[in-house]
Amino acid sequence: MQQSSSTSTQPTALEKVISFIDERVGLKTLQAKMLNEPVPGGSRWAYIFGSILLFIFIMQAVTGILLMFYYVPTADHAYASTQYIIHDVDYGWFLLSYHFWGSTAMVVCVFAHMSQVFLWGAYKKPRELIWLVGLALFGLVMGFGFTGYLLPWDQRAYWATTVGVEIMDKTPIVGDFMARFLKGGPTPGQMTLSRFFVIHVMILPATLMGLAGLHLFLFRKAGAAGPFRGSVEELKVKTDYFFPRQVWKDIVGMVTVFLAICAMAFWEPVVLLEEATPDPGDYHPEPEWYFLFLFQMLRLKIFAGEFGQFLGAVALPGAFMAFLAALPFIDRDPERNIFKRPIALIGWIVVMATILIFTVSSIINREFLD
Amino acid sequence: MPAGYDGMTEQEALSPVKLALQLLWFTFWTGFPIKLAFALLFLAMGLINFEARIGLAFLMILASPVTVFALPILMIGLDSHIGEGVGIGLLFLLCIPIDIWAYGVVAKTYFLDRLRLEPPEGIGLSLWMKTAVVGALYLPILWLVVGFTTETAISFAHSLFEIDFLKGVPVAERIGAQLVLWGTIATVVLLVMLLVGLWLIGRVIQNAMKRAQPVSGSYQGRVMRWDLMRVPADQGLMLTAFAGTGIVLSILFWSALPATTPRPHDCCKKPEVKTQPPYKAIDALNKDEKVIVQLTAQLEALEKKKAEEETQGKSKRKGNAGKEPAKAPSASAPIQSESKKP
Repeated sequence: MQQSSSTSTQPTALEKVISFIDERVGLKTLQAKMLNEPVPGGSRWAYIFGSILLFIFIMQAVTGILLMFYYVPTADHAYASTQYIIHDVDYGWFLLSYHFWGSTAMVVCVFAHMSQVFLWGAYKKPRELIWLVGLALFGLVMGFGFTGYLLPWDQRAYWATTVGVEIMDKTPIVGDFMARFLKGGPTPGQMTLSRFFVIHVMILPATLMGLAGLHLFLFRKAGAAGPFRGSVEELKVKTDYFFPRQVWKDIVGMVTVFLAICAMAFWEPVVLLEEATPDPGDYHPEPEWYFLFLFQMLRLKIFAGEFGQFLGAVALPGAFMAFLAALPFIDRDPERNIFKRPIALIGWIVVMATILIFTVSSIINREFLD
Repeated sequence: MPAGYDGMTEQEALSPVKLALQLLWFTFWTGFPIKLAFALLFLAMGLINFEARIGLAFLMILASPVTVFALPILMIGLDSHIGEGVGIGLLFLLCIPIDIWAYGVVAKTYFLDRLRLEPPEGIGLSLWMKTAVVGALYLPILWLVVGFTTETAISFAHSLFEIDFLKGVPVAERIGAQLVLWGTIATVVLLVMLLVGLWLIGRVIQNAMKRAQPVSGSYQGRVMRWDLMRVPADQGLMLTAFAGTGIVLSILFWSALPATTPRPHDCCKKPEVKTQPPYKAIDALNKDEKVIVQLTAQLEALEKKKAEEETQGKSKRKGNAGKEPAKAPSASAPIQSESKKP
């Protein structure tokens, strides 16, 4: 008996390793800090988007690295190497399609996450900084989409970038410099590809990692906002730690998103158009779907001409982003219930409806171009 | 009114629409990831080939229980099909038990937490059956009404812009205005029809509520009860089962995943390579020997024939030598004569 009791108290090899690391880096304290975050009102499905975004980013990094083993970022070989990935590399078509649909999922989840924070009133004091860093992260995600779009070097990539850079050119003061810097010449070519590649695989990921860390730090510092409804008794009874229920919900959310991206990769695997040339031929240039609403807006008569283009492409989106940045400082009412904030609710519906109408209009517009 | 339903203001305050919306929304999300995992597995195995309206079809299969019977009815009614492959039927059959389970878990939670009622036995199955029947009857009507309204609204919006003073409207503005016009009409009709459908399902749920008894115990106790329904006491076992299922599904997925693209580009279509039968050296030698024997026999026969012809020709020439004068040989003559030889 004595022997068995003495052996049962002996730490296992794994426990010894954990204890060794814990003594040096404070693993258990870190684990407690990570998992024992109180979630006011308990775990909710509405809170999963932040974790899902982190998961998508990690998957994008993994698939992106695997693609880089085969992709050649030169104007001569970018198209051929992408075709090689699709047609010759084992599972290459799936990796590329996953990466492509992952970027779309990231944009969708960023929209969902921002909408949730806005509707929940979670941008209000003391969470203003979290909101601001979140907006910067939104810009980075859009940047990822824009720079990654050029890399396959087909007609779609070439002309979407040309249109995008032309829009950027209309920004006052820095626009000309930005456009020249990105293009690296009069027309998109090797320099453009190199610069977009470096921005896509080096600058943006590094910036995103830094800002995402800051975002998480600020979030943990301020704590979760919790639901905007419910009695004090309800919230108290339901308040829970981050682990296990919220972790479980996050995992289910991640698995669902993973499965959905895989299903999309099967449904619409990436198919390239012809190799990029400075002659568009029959191809009608258009950007990726999440920029379509802006593209269609610029087709309106009101945004015709030099000034109109500046107004539609730069001034209005810029003003909207500036408004979003200033929102926590303008809206100082502590009320978070969206049903008691009619202006916010109507504003959100109008913005979403506008994006939807212009996106669908752009798709209908294709018939007129053909 | 039964005791459980009588005098409960909270339940009475819940409209059938809100009740149905909440239960169906949570049921959809509870069952969706599991169905999606199977759908993906079937896609990887090549058991499903979706065709037109894939997004809608995919969602309708996965969004059951309301659409579980409505989808096949609609497909038969419209004389259309969403795709091919045994996976579609298999997925359809798999969705049924998943939905019954999901509906049961959600309804039990909702009854305990929000309605403060004891969930009746077999609530998942009974609600699923009734909801599926309502969906099967109502969704085709909704489809027809919304489809007809949308088509009418589109043609109205187009005809409106044929009027003289609107003909000059630029294309982008015209598209936007037309979309807002027919989109608003179609959305309003769709929303009204959806509300009616939700109201019908809400009435079904309210009937189940009437049979339920009020639950006893504190609020915290009720929260504990429904919480344990979702997360079993033996969490280690649950996690092991979850991880094990995930590993098995992942292995199946990777083993079934096509290595090369299922949709090759025109530029890169690989030529079909026919597999050569395995080379059998002895058989080949025997075959060659037979051929050599045959050819040798043919050659001998030909030589024999040639020799006979030559002897016949010599005897003829000897017989004719005294009758015809000898001709001078021309350049073409020997060739012609040679070429006529076998």
